[in-house]
Amino acid sequence: MRWRKPHPRPLSCEERGAPSRTPPSFAGKGERASGFVLPPAPKMLLLMLCLACLLLTGCFSGKHSGNAVIAEIRFWNGFTGPDGATMEKIVKQFERETGIRVKMQIIPWGTYYDKLVLGLAYGGAPDVFICHANRIAEFARYGVFRPLDDLIDADKGFPVDDFLPNIWQAGKYEGQQVGLPLDCHPQGLYYNLKLFREAGIVDAQGNPKPPETWEEFLDAASRLTKDKDGDGRPDQWGFAFTWLRTNWITFISQHGGSILSPDLKRAALAEPPAVKATQQMCDIIYRYRVAPKPEGFDSWMGFRQGRVAMAIEGIYMLSSVEEQKGLEYAGAPVPSFGPKRAVWGGSHMLCMPKNLPPERAQLVWRFMRYLSEHSLDWAEGGQVPVRRSLLNQPRFRQMRVQYAFAKQLPYVVFEPASHKSTEIMPFYDAAIEAALLGIKTPQDALNEAARRIQQVLDRP
Amino acid sequence: MKLLALPAHRRHEALVGYLFIAPYLVLFVVFVLVPVVWGFFISLHNWHVLGEQKPFVGFANYRALLRDDLFGIALLNTGYFALLTVIPGNVVSLLLALGLNARIRGENVYKAIFYLPVILSVAVVAIIWRWMYSTEFGLLNYYLKVLWQFLHLPGDFQPIPWLNSPQSAMPSLALMSIWWGAGGSMLIYLAGLRGIPEEYYEAARIDGASTWGRFRHITLPLLKPSLLFCLVMSLIGSSQVFGQSYILTGGGPHYSTLTVVLYMYQTGFSLYRMGYACAVAYVMFVIVLGFTLLQFRLLSARGEE
Repeated sequence: MRWRKPHPRPLSCEERGAPSRTPPSFAGKGERASGFVLPPAPKMLLLMLCLACLLLTGCFSGKHSGNAVIAEIRFWNGFTGPDGATMEKIVKQFERETGIRVKMQIIPWGTYYDKLVLGLAYGGAPDVFICHANRIAEFARYGVFRPLDDLIDADKGFPVDDFLPNIWQAGKYEGQQVGLPLDCHPQGLYYNLKLFREAGIVDAQGNPKPPETWEEFLDAASRLTKDKDGDGRPDQWGFAFTWLRTNWITFISQHGGSILSPDLKRAALAEPPAVKATQQMCDIIYRYRVAPKPEGFDSWMGFRQGRVAMAIEGIYMLSSVEEQKGLEYAGAPVPSFGPKRAVWGGSHMLCMPKNLPPERAQLVWRFMRYLSEHSLDWAEGGQVPVRRSLLNQPRFRQMRVQYAFAKQLPYVVFEPASHKSTEIMPFYDAAIEAALLGIKTPQDALNEAARRIQQVLDRP
Repeated sequence: MKLLALPAHRRHEALVGYLFIAPYLVLFVVFVLVPVVWGFFISLHNWHVLGEQKPFVGFANYRALLRDDLFGIALLNTGYFALLTVIPGNVVSLLLALGLNARIRGENVYKAIFYLPVILSVAVVAIIWRWMYSTEFGLLNYYLKVLWQFLHLPGDFQPIPWLNSPQSAMPSLALMSIWWGAGGSMLIYLAGLRGIPEEYYEAARIDGASTWGRFRHITLPLLKPSLLFCLVMSLIGSSQVFGQSYILTGGGPHYSTLTVVLYMYQTGFSLYRMGYACAVAYVMFVIVLGFTLLQFRLLSARGEE
């Protein structure tokens, strides 16, 4: 766990009111140092005077009076990468503009939910925190969130229609809005411009042309797979599977498959569409031989180093390719591998814990709204905003990769919105791994996963 | 009360005794005894961390455990790990101890070198070995490749996917664990060997016993207490294996390194199903208790000889 504390303490409104005065201290270090000790009564008086001064300057000096009473908003998230610095900038800006102090704590995602869940269960939870869209149902089932509907309704200027409906929907649980979508992080196709040019995969103007269909993808991938040293094994690959789970969700969704049935009561991943999609993924490796076996091969590192020409990864990997020197890359929507348009995505939802006092909830809502309104700043750190008004701004168009990936937002799919979503994940993970490593056939692997997932679903 | 029935000076003595063990006793009660009892209580409930109601379900968690094939896989994997580490690990330790017992020069240096891994934490060991095991960049595959070329073996060397294939993942973890733990048992064996009087060997040599004969008929029988102790301790230790697979493989690939303690951890701390996790813990507790009783029996049987 890491406290992002190096940020200099923002000025509270009291201090801004009287910048030249040193804040009075209760310990009275100065008194002790001089050896002079005040008799008890005057000491108390002095103390009260100081307090009064503090309160007075707090109330009358700042532009935003009334906030002096509320200490600070505690905000938890797991943005340990460059996104954390971006978030910190926005938070500081909020503090400057409103005078409300925010104490942001960044906890690595690996332990984030442990800490959050314990905080929610036994006290100590923050006033506002990030929850991934695919874990909303799991926690909402236990009523840990404060529904936002009344705050949204009361906030007349808040444009719900501005949000993309499928992503807005992901913040709902049983009809209640429990999460405010901050962003979306869909997958997209990252491709290496230099390798595309070398292989002659270019359009009429000579610009590298990313594949859009399965045929184009296969053609490009086979032209990009090269055995340079002639040892019979390719040392440049057209494609590589990076994160198997999310790649797989994109594939099966494009074939019309899903992990669970629409009512979330039945495992659907062993049905023909998902099996067909999984077989297609295996074919890319074993039949067409345009991607390495996902074993002992760091695929993403391969893409960064130019040994892999295409990879399907989340927008959050942008900072990772940006820091790779000499890599010429671009982003495009994921090609169509199947009849339907679909791509896996995730979303960071802003949530409040239940039992927040009403006036505090109001204040936190103000902060949440601010973050949402500034999600274009947030997009700089490698995210995609989910508000139509922001997606069309010229500034967003200039974020090349984000803009390319954002075209897919209308058909983003999340993990199933079941409260058992986290629990069933290891089972399909294992099945995908077994299928793609050739340990089992796709049908066998998915059957086994479906059986286990069904057991989990059937358990009360 | 018994304490009050004692004469004054004895009572004083007893009180002082209790005072001496009090700090430990308090810690023991707070951090061991209470959690043990509390854990059993939790295991009888459907206990989700976030649930406001935590309904009592009796032994339903235990019954579910019997039908849970992942738990079965975890038990088998743990047994497999024990098989791969207990006997080979103790053979390695014994061989090291025998080597050191030959009173070679620089004995203490070797002792320190072999013991060094034991003082590392599992996290450190795992991170070091993750690099060694890396299929592409790993030291192990590099040396194997060099060896392959040096011996002019036919064909190309195919890198071994140490941690990435279901067949090799568990043996890889076992190999690492042996390296990590061999030094501990080695010291115990060495102490045992030093306790065997030289006269026995002398007499055997005069009677014309071979090296193997001396080892088989003198060393081994007299080393029995150390052997038993080390075997049972490593059996208990390996049945609780967790850190290795938690850090290196996360239980994969395809459940091949999912151990009982890892399964318990995942159930409790990523799914927050504490009731079920406690049931797993209790089944594990009974199994380890069995091994411990076995150890007591074997060791006390020796005492009666």
